[in-house]
Amino acid sequence: MKEISRRRFLEAACASAGMLVLAGCGGSTGNAPDSSGDDNAGAGEVAGKTVAFIPKVTGNAFFESANDGAQSHSREWGFSVDYIGDATASVSAQVSVINQAVANGVDAICISTVDANGVSDALGKATDAGIVVTTWDSDAKPEDRTLMVSQGTPEILGQMLIDLSIAGLKERGIDAEKDEVGYVWHYSQATVTDQNSWQVAAEKVIKEQYPNWTNVHENYYSNQDAEQAITIGEAILDAYPDIDLIICNDSTALPGQLQAAENKGYDAQRITITGFASPQSIKSYCEHGTIFNWGLWDCAVQGAMGCYVAAYLAAGNKVKVGDTISIPGIGEVAVEPNDSIAEGAVTAEENNGVVLLPERLVFTKENMNDYSF
Amino acid sequence: MRARLRALLAKGQASWNVMLVSLLVLEFVIFGATNPKFLRPELLFTSLNDSLPVFMISLFVTFVMVTGGIDIQVASLVGLTSITIGVGWQDFSLPIWGAVAAATVLAMACGALSGFLIAYCRVQAMVVTLGGSFLYSGIALLISTLSSTESYQGIGGFPDEFKFIASYRLAGVVPLQFLIYALLLAIAFILLHKTTYGRRVFLSAVNQSAAECSGINTRLVIMSTYVLSALSAALAATVLTAYLGTAKSDLGADLTMNIITVVVLGGTLSTGGRGSIVGTMLASFVMALLRFGLPLCFRISTQHLNIPIGILLVAVIVARSVSAKGLGLTSRLTKLITRRGGADPRGGDSQERGGQRHTREASS
Repeated sequence: MKEISRRRFLEAACASAGMLVLAGCGGSTGNAPDSSGDDNAGAGEVAGKTVAFIPKVTGNAFFESANDGAQSHSREWGFSVDYIGDATASVSAQVSVINQAVANGVDAICISTVDANGVSDALGKATDAGIVVTTWDSDAKPEDRTLMVSQGTPEILGQMLIDLSIAGLKERGIDAEKDEVGYVWHYSQATVTDQNSWQVAAEKVIKEQYPNWTNVHENYYSNQDAEQAITIGEAILDAYPDIDLIICNDSTALPGQLQAAENKGYDAQRITITGFASPQSIKSYCEHGTIFNWGLWDCAVQGAMGCYVAAYLAAGNKVKVGDTISIPGIGEVAVEPNDSIAEGAVTAEENNGVVLLPERLVFTKENMNDYSF
Repeated sequence: MRARLRALLAKGQASWNVMLVSLLVLEFVIFGATNPKFLRPELLFTSLNDSLPVFMISLFVTFVMVTGGIDIQVASLVGLTSITIGVGWQDFSLPIWGAVAAATVLAMACGALSGFLIAYCRVQAMVVTLGGSFLYSGIALLISTLSSTESYQGIGGFPDEFKFIASYRLAGVVPLQFLIYALLLAIAFILLHKTTYGRRVFLSAVNQSAAECSGINTRLVIMSTYVLSALSAALAATVLTAYLGTAKSDLGADLTMNIITVVVLGGTLSTGGRGSIVGTMLASFVMALLRFGLPLCFRISTQHLNIPIGILLVAVIVARSVSAKGLGLTSRLTKLITRRGGADPRGGDSQERGGQRHTREASS
């Protein structure tokens, strides 16, 4: 019996080898690779390029709306954007997505990295293959990419979180300068780059300017998991029923925390919850009176800008620190040195630097319906 | 034709392997014809590189599942090993290979602890390793706080002699880490199918008390399979850390389901007693090529890949238990009849595994 199965096995193996050859022959007359087609476009034209747009994780409102923005803007600009990503936010998954993009033969990659060190080699290989790498939202190592489209420096965003908090506390008649304020952080993970840098920057401001604020517990994490965000949120309220302020600088933690507050019967008069999330995802909580204000930047514009500068450099344009790039429909943006967002980072002579998003948004009941994301 | 296929499928592991090989061939033909880029060795190896941790670990999780256990904690051991290498090397200034050795010993100790609870205290493997997955990933996060590097940033900047594992390519094409996999494959195959130890692993699942009576220390054997799978997790973590160039506590956290899927697709019974290294190997190639080929050739976005893979897994497993009369529902019925009537009317049906099945049924 065993003999026969072994022979079968061999037969199958031979057959597979034969098929391989056939497939190889058939394939060569098949589809042409899609990297051609931009020959008629002169240097400097973004039209006809293909940009792989890689989020940290798919299925998250933030990244999906960034993609919507990138898609609709790129159609006007005349290049195509391939949205590829993985449903889990892990380095290894993202590396394989990058390799996939390289295999697909794209002209440029615009990525929000899960871990700058982890994707370093993969991005290096992409650059070696002649692909322009730009980043948005969460940066790579500055030497692994050309331009970064940043939502703001950690100082800008940390300060923004504090300003949001103070405005919310003031609504309740609490003076942030003098009154005792008990607060806690609730966001995604201890291992994610951007959110932690804002938290660190904000903590620094609190220590210096608001010694009357007390952090009642170390940070809570809900791993960008919608259900976990609610259970963690309820756990916080159970442990600290009289807490004044919960800062949720994560787009999953904020709605989860608000849902938890509603489940426990809290509203914006008893507790201040604020943070970063899209206006649509928080709208209903604001209507119920559970939250006073929250913020974000226009991620649709950010995603689109990331793709635009990627296609712009892929088209052969060169930029230096101090130059401005004119983005149709968005405006003029200046190229700034890398150390504006990461201390001590060096900037290469050419095609390296940071582009800041022109504006950040604060949402309240009055303006939340003006945005579609 | 259908009858022949059915007969073939009914013949157990060897024919299962034929089926997996056909799936592989089908992938090569379809993907290769749609996009010839798929057949470039350079690209193929790059794509396989991304799946190698699953490849390596699934070999030894096969051992665990052959004993009727399951190992959900391996993925957390990958993160634990990785961060221990990083912290040991950067913050305790161990030589890099010393850090690797220390991390490997730690991972094996974790495997041994879970294995001990399962084999000697008779706690369900699912429960112990589920708990283990939380415990060990928690310890990994704890270790990361010993580092001067913030835990959300991976520890990088490893020396070239370490990165060599992932960057060297034999003849410019075959990555060294792939050769490491080939070596592990050979070791796993010989260990499970050609040695006394391997036979003991099978016997411990088939009939533990009979195995005990014939002088096999089944508890030790069962415990050892968890140490082996932990060792493979440590090796995979070392390779992955070198490949990504970063040590993080949550590395590999998404591997669990892929590993279990590959082992099950490879023909290992989740109830134990049957399994094959070759099957696991073939299944891991089928999965990896599917993950690489579908987006490349049919523009299926990576985020939706789980749908075709889920369909494939369910379809294949259902087809198998329907066709192979010796398995699934029919086998349970058969068992019932044998228990009542004493005779096994379908005993001759699955000739290849005949001997083994009889032993099993005798025990039940």
